[in-house]
Amino acid sequence: MEDTLPCSYSPLPNGPPTIEGPLDKRRPRTKATLIIFSGLLLLLASFLAITIGVHRNSHNVHANENDEALLATSEPPSVSIPLEPVHPVSRGVSAGVSEKSNLAFADHNAISYPWNNSMLSWQRTSFHFQPEKNWMNDPNGPMFYKGWYHFFYQYNPNGAVWGDIVWGHAVSTDLIHWLHLPLAMVADQWYDINGVWTGSATVLPNGEVVMLYTGSTNESVQVQNLAYPANLSDPLLIDWVKYSDNPVLLPPPGINKNDFRDPTTAWYTSDGKWKFAIGSRVNTTGITLVYHTKDFKSYERLDGLLHSVPGTGMWECVDFYPVSKTAGKGLDTSVTGPGVKHVMKTSLDNDRQDYYALGIYDEKTDTWVPDNPNIGIGIRYDYGIFYASKTFYDEQKERRVLWGWIGESDSEFADMKKGWASVQGIPRTVLLDTKTGSNLLQWPVEEVDSLRLSGKEFDKVEVKAGSVVPLDIVSATQLDIVAEFELDKEALERTAQSNVEFSCGNSQGAAQRGALGPFGLLILADESLSEQTPVYFYIAKGTDGNLTTFFCVDQSRSSEATDVNKQIHGGYVPVLKDEKLSVRLLVDHSIVESFVQGGRTCITSRVYPTKAIYGAARLFLFNNATEATVTSSLKIWQMNSAFIHPFRAK
Amino acid sequence: MRTLVFIVLVYVVFQIIFLSSQCARLSSNDDNLIEQTCKQTPNYSLCISSLKSDPKSATADVTGLALIMVNVLNTTATRTLIHINSFLHHIPSPKIKKALLSCANMYYNGIITADVPVSIEALTKGDPKFADDSTLDAAKEATLCEEGFSGNSPLTVDNTNVNNVARVTEAIVKLLL
Repeated sequence: MEDTLPCSYSPLPNGPPTIEGPLDKRRPRTKATLIIFSGLLLLLASFLAITIGVHRNSHNVHANENDEALLATSEPPSVSIPLEPVHPVSRGVSAGVSEKSNLAFADHNAISYPWNNSMLSWQRTSFHFQPEKNWMNDPNGPMFYKGWYHFFYQYNPNGAVWGDIVWGHAVSTDLIHWLHLPLAMVADQWYDINGVWTGSATVLPNGEVVMLYTGSTNESVQVQNLAYPANLSDPLLIDWVKYSDNPVLLPPPGINKNDFRDPTTAWYTSDGKWKFAIGSRVNTTGITLVYHTKDFKSYERLDGLLHSVPGTGMWECVDFYPVSKTAGKGLDTSVTGPGVKHVMKTSLDNDRQDYYALGIYDEKTDTWVPDNPNIGIGIRYDYGIFYASKTFYDEQKERRVLWGWIGESDSEFADMKKGWASVQGIPRTVLLDTKTGSNLLQWPVEEVDSLRLSGKEFDKVEVKAGSVVPLDIVSATQLDIVAEFELDKEALERTAQSNVEFSCGNSQGAAQRGALGPFGLLILADESLSEQTPVYFYIAKGTDGNLTTFFCVDQSRSSEATDVNKQIHGGYVPVLKDEKLSVRLLVDHSIVESFVQGGRTCITSRVYPTKAIYGAARLFLFNNATEATVTSSLKIWQMNSAFIHPFRAK
Repeated sequence: MRTLVFIVLVYVVFQIIFLSSQCARLSSNDDNLIEQTCKQTPNYSLCISSLKSDPKSATADVTGLALIMVNVLNTTATRTLIHINSFLHHIPSPKIKKALLSCANMYYNGIITADVPVSIEALTKGDPKFADDSTLDAAKEATLCEEGFSGNSPLTVDNTNVNNVARVTEAIVKLLL
């Protein structure tokens, strides 16, 4: 029994001796030359940036009253030493890439922060939604209207950190190729002067659009407001009007003024009224309130709570929607009936994670009962960085689409240097997993496939226990990877049972060797594997002989930088009998999304390598199990950029 | 008459004492909230002394206490930045100079320009999770500054102080989530 799962620390096989021959011919020389040449160009560019930066800084030595003023605010004026090394940047001005020259010192000399412009520029994504600069957080009011997908988002127009929140706006015809539009709503009324916060869209049967959003008032009270398009005949919905009698809802008695935000999309009920839900809390119990309305102007709170879980704190960004028990199609938010389950999702303020549970909703009694009474707050949508998510029903393609905010896991200091922070995950279709009946399936919308460029297949590659196999592909920073893994059956049967509990977060990552794992891919790795992000399966055989499968992303060696989080994310994956293990990975510079077993388990990671970037990024298969040989088949596509840019009228 | 004046005076004096104590009891936290809050932070004594240094703490709620700590964080970080500058003026070795410059950047562009204002905005507007992120970030900046000297830091006291203040602040912010 003992020794069945050797768990002593043993690093991943490292260096040339264990690397087997490449599966394909090496990169042609011309490409290598091109890479070196572009590297030289970058060097030249960064040299220029540094020179300009030093030059700029010399100006600032003379004119740094900002710094002195800053000192004066918290210290007696007796101290008036000019702060020569720091460049005065007000938070009101975004520290864009061009302004990074203020960090010429850091670029040149930094010990703790080895970031330079080319490393930081590399982190920007190519096919994920991002504003051109500055801070973004929650997705807001997604909808499909007159041929366009609309996407709004929490946006700080003044800097790369949270604050001064307004609504950004973009449109696309395919959920991928986005066009930036002017800000949809700014903080210009007493009821949202402290922030135009998160909200949801409801498209009425008559074609009208209702946007219900949270405003932070002049006294920082969270209230609900109504807005609507100024011109319904404009498919771009550029101009928005705030209802003259806003706010339409104040925090009800017993609810703290700061605990009343993020209304859902409304659903239509048999009594001819619209209902919507909103998260809150009472002490440390997270709750969902429900309101109903006929006209979206006057509301009545319904008795009771749709759901509550003690000890979970404030519930943000509640989402409530139906999924079909049978059909592979999404459902309009107002659909109810025996063929339907309802998903209750909440975003927990206190751990910044999204949880969902499946249950049955009775619209007559306004009750929602979870299928599994012991599910608590629920299952995680995503075991990585994924928060404040929101779905909408896409009538054009009869699907429900999920958006989620992917924050940064580097320092705010680095974000200021980059001049931007956060991306949105690739929109995902959401369906009930009819095979398990107990979880959702999340899968990147099919339109993302249109970005696939040249593909390459690797068929039944054998990866022996304790080895690493390079995969020869042109470039490894923009990829769509579909990989299947099979374990040798003999090893599966031979492996003894173990009562050792496994969890990705508490493990030693890809270095923790077990009989049946870890095995998977090393993404964003450099040639010497000094930087690598293993994404992998780990199978544990319990004392009952059953196999439990986990999928993890190990960021502990993802970067040589010290100022980034290097957690090991991951979770349990339901795997049914005779199913092959499979994962789809979307790699887009600093973001990596993993969809395991058709989307039963998802993990989104932010990765900030310093060496494994541009042409130096490589892809490997690895198997760090002690017993099992793994056979893997892969399809790997290079991904095009989505060329997200401002809208220009044709 | 004299007796009456005496009685009135005594009454007034008592009334003043009584009223003032009553007032104090009505408006102050009676140290209870401060103590209860500080017990939930990683550094009780630092928390108590920091909060009591600001008279507003007597009447503040937990959000108010968090804001006071953010101010303390700002002051502590600013003081550290001044120390960094004075070290820079003493012609440090190139290695130390590099680390000092890196620290100045982190303290100014990280803590003072980003973490502190974000925390204040998040706390005053009632979305404290962003204050949680930013105070954690400030603790990290201080640690990274210290590590930049590879064991030869002239800023150990400052960095430790900022790190402690940031972690206490973060613990108080956590109570609001």
